[in-house]
Amino acid sequence: MAELVESKRPWKAWIYLSPAIFLLLIFTVWPIINTVRMAFLESYSGLKAAGGQTFRIGIGNFQKVLKYQKFLSCLKNTFILCILTVPISTILALLIAVALNSIKFMQKTLQTIFFLPYVTNSIAIGMVFAAMFNMVGSFFGTPNEIVVTAGIINNLLEFFGGTAVNWINYGSSYAANITVMVIYIVWNALPFKILILLGGLQSINKQYYDAARVDGTSRKRIFTKITVPLLSPIIAYVVITGFIGGFKEYTSIVGIFGASMGPADNAGRLNTMVGFIYDALSSNSQGRASAAALILFSIILVVTLINLQVSKKRVHY
Amino acid sequence: MKRTLLVMLLVVVAVASVFAGGKAEANSAAVSNFIVPEGGYDGSPVTVKFYHTMGANLSTVLNLYIPEFNKLYPNITIAAEQVGSYDDVRDQISTEITVGNQPNIAYCYPDHVALYNMAGAVASLDSLIDSKIEVTRADGTKEILGLTDSQKADFIEGYYNEGRQFGDGLMYTMPFSKSTEVLYYNKTFFDANGLKPATTWDEMEELCAKIKTIDPESIPLGYDSESNWFITMCEQNESPYTSASGDHYLFDNEMNKDFVKRFRTWYQKGYLTTQKLYGAYTSALFVAEKGTRSYMSIGSSAGATHQRPAALADGKYPFEVGITTIPQINSARPRVISQGPSICIFGKANPQEVIASWLFVKYLTTSVDFQAEFSMASGYVPVLKSVADNSVYKTFVGKADGGNYISALSAKVCLTQEQAYYTSPAFNGSATARDQVGSLLAKCLTASDNGNEKAMIDAAFKEAIDECEYQN
Amino acid sequence: MQTMHEKDLREESSHQIVVSILVKVLVYFFVITMALFVLFPFYWMINSSLKSLEEYRRSVPTFWPQDPLFSNYATAFTTANLGRLFINTMIVGVISTLLSLVITVLSAFAFARLQFKGKDILFAALLATMMIPGELFTITNYSTVTNLGWINTYTVLIVPFLVSVFYIYLLRQNFMQIPDELYLAAKVDGTSDFKYLWKVMIPLSLPTLISITILKMMGAWNSYIWPRLVANDAEHRLITNGLRNAFTETTGDVNYPVQMAAVALVSLPLFLVFVFLRKYIMQGVSRSGIKG
Repeated sequence: MAELVESKRPWKAWIYLSPAIFLLLIFTVWPIINTVRMAFLESYSGLKAAGGQTFRIGIGNFQKVLKYQKFLSCLKNTFILCILTVPISTILALLIAVALNSIKFMQKTLQTIFFLPYVTNSIAIGMVFAAMFNMVGSFFGTPNEIVVTAGIINNLLEFFGGTAVNWINYGSSYAANITVMVIYIVWNALPFKILILLGGLQSINKQYYDAARVDGTSRKRIFTKITVPLLSPIIAYVVITGFIGGFKEYTSIVGIFGASMGPADNAGRLNTMVGFIYDALSSNSQGRASAAALILFSIILVVTLINLQVSKKRVHY
Repeated sequence: MKRTLLVMLLVVVAVASVFAGGKAEANSAAVSNFIVPEGGYDGSPVTVKFYHTMGANLSTVLNLYIPEFNKLYPNITIAAEQVGSYDDVRDQISTEITVGNQPNIAYCYPDHVALYNMAGAVASLDSLIDSKIEVTRADGTKEILGLTDSQKADFIEGYYNEGRQFGDGLMYTMPFSKSTEVLYYNKTFFDANGLKPATTWDEMEELCAKIKTIDPESIPLGYDSESNWFITMCEQNESPYTSASGDHYLFDNEMNKDFVKRFRTWYQKGYLTTQKLYGAYTSALFVAEKGTRSYMSIGSSAGATHQRPAALADGKYPFEVGITTIPQINSARPRVISQGPSICIFGKANPQEVIASWLFVKYLTTSVDFQAEFSMASGYVPVLKSVADNSVYKTFVGKADGGNYISALSAKVCLTQEQAYYTSPAFNGSATARDQVGSLLAKCLTASDNGNEKAMIDAAFKEAIDECEYQN
Repeated sequence: MQTMHEKDLREESSHQIVVSILVKVLVYFFVITMALFVLFPFYWMINSSLKSLEEYRRSVPTFWPQDPLFSNYATAFTTANLGRLFINTMIVGVISTLLSLVITVLSAFAFARLQFKGKDILFAALLATMMIPGELFTITNYSTVTNLGWINTYTVLIVPFLVSVFYIYLLRQNFMQIPDELYLAAKVDGTSDFKYLWKVMIPLSLPTLISITILKMMGAWNSYIWPRLVANDAEHRLITNGLRNAFTETTGDVNYPVQMAAVALVSLPLFLVFVFLRKYIMQGVSRSGIKG
């Protein structure tokens, strides 16, 4: 039916889209074309180009990226962080949003609190993690070991009878590093997701719930049969954009580990694809950065297509 | 990657060994990319854009001197702009260069200049420095456009020469204000225990052992920067680190591995830590009043106030701080790093902009009053020898003590080691080398070796070299 | 029989009450724990903003400033030209939010309701543009705006980022939940697309539009790299740029306590806007009368 009505005047859609498309052509599409161009110019550098140097066309940039000794490690970190953080943050955010939506007492106060991270500066967020997980001291693992402070998290662990863990300092394990990163990234991602999901939840008509309650449907059933299906478009949105953002993870690692992207004795251990792109940009190797970006792009594209395919089957409009 | 505390590095190993006794420029075939036009400065109105990183209190000092400069050159408008950190200045300018929009003058570290020079954007200063063209100032006095012999001689040599460390013998930067590393020690503790600060690394080893017996809970020595430490050891050792031309990365050699192994044993005995390893400021360890503390701390001479403990209620300090030169391998040939910003001038279509920029740079770098005032406000040391004779600065340094006037004490120590400053070669990739040797040292101090120390250290050196070579 | 039945009901309902109280307690426990978790950095920001630099640099962090230094706030206020920074940020924030909302609504409507050839491909292409790290665009965009002569204007701070695929996608998801029947009924009544969009779809999507407004305003507040590059003169400088490095110490370290005080100061109006907007979100909800 809808198609019948619309197909008469297809040009109308383009009028609605024209402002967006016009701006995107200038500020997004053109830079992308330029990125592709730079990727296929051997060792392209913006500064060298400004100095009048010319570059041969070729695939040297791609070869150089793939030959990097830590390329696989960057790829692995990117994938691990993505696969762990997107589901955890989405589920947590969904639970918080549903819980917030279901309570009356203190609802407003709590909603405001969950907005607060937006007005908290990112520098403060980085600092808090340093204080929470950072162990101050030296000679870890030697007979001379000196621990000045084990950090808040370890204090808590020890209080509950656990043992202190070396989270981010030198000598720490990869698993400990990843755990901290997952907590940090989930933390960062929560407010946005809660906000979006809460917005979605509040658009769901109360009548559905009233009807369910009259029928005596259990809470669990309401959640899985009403809330999640009706919220599925928003959940799909949160998951897909979460994956896209997750593949671009970089600044959060700098926030915890500093520019060395790893514990003091293992610099670069947690480097990601975008971190690799940044490194190339800071030595003004735009050719190599562009090639790496295109490789990353093709990976995200495949994952997103899979996501969209899955959500087409699952999402209920 | 850590470029926030980048150092000014100068050719000593490479240039000094190749051109021993002679002046580098005399042997160079490179031609200056900026030639002063016949008429010199023509007085036409120009605006000079100056990017820097000075926070509010230092900008205030700069802003006092811009009107003074304008009394001499009213047609030159100085637009000074704080861009952010050193990295921000670098990133911003390298983007602006691609459309020819770069500023006229910028705060810089040597590797920034190497980067800008990929586009040939930085004006070489040789023709300006050597120019004998006379310029008439607004107050009727005259000066020559270039530097007079006495002005050249007034610069601390190590600082001045770092403008020529780019491998082609040309001068690209002028020193602006400088700092170095010094050894801070707990003078109260040293006096009470009859200890003397170490002048050599051998003495340092004994000293650490003694302190460890006096206070087993302590970490006797804290060193802020692993990168500085590695590079300074190469310099003191006369072992290769990097070269501005040819094969850039030379630090993978037995001499360097030897000192790394030696410090590894110190670390294992609990003698020392560094900022990255400690997980907090090493100065905080030094000023701690209870629990684990250090009695010596090697850090920037500009950060003296951080190395002073918090004052007690009566305004006195819990202990007195002593400052001295860092330990050496050969005390007859002392070497300390030279760091802090330089200034570069960018090429422009209108040569008058370049000349006007030069006049301003020359004014700031050769003005004794400005250098004195800026140094006192910043904790950096002046680049001119004659600042030491400036009455205000003299009074300032005269007050030097290990408490209230600790910055003055730090400045005083710096003035005594003028001959010892070195910098390393600058090239596109020198910043990577600096980061890599820092990480390398941290790793070699602490990593477990599974019984084969040599294999672990060899692998770490090789990986660092590979990273350096990959990035460029 | 009847009494038996009533008794059953009563037993069942008392059982239900216990369960529902238990659930409530659990829900509150969960939400409050998460709230504390989320709140911690905010507390840390305030805590740091009241410390002296010496106390901030200590090895063992203190959880409450030993001697709260309220003067950090005065220092922050006098060091940076906050008034001008505020005005610039407000101008850029408000104009770009309004324009961005218009563009987003129009595009999301086209993608959700209108049929045209290549819709799916175009939409997938739009999503794809989100996948390239934006930093790669900087050089090209910088040269574009330089050629347009936009350096040091408000235009350069507003126009290049008006279109957000994120928001178009979000709103499209929301629009798609509004049932087709409403649209077809409106068509039969002869209502124009535009009127339908304005009268039905926008009111129904108010919570999402408000979320977008919040995110967009935050963007103006936090944007840093692009404004620094294209409009760093005193007349156009934005708040984050103005604050980021105004408190740099001589050694290149930042005076974090004062910086935190400055950050807390500029967060305050934003926080108030939030408290204010939250009401609107609720109103938007109560107005929605139909399915999702």
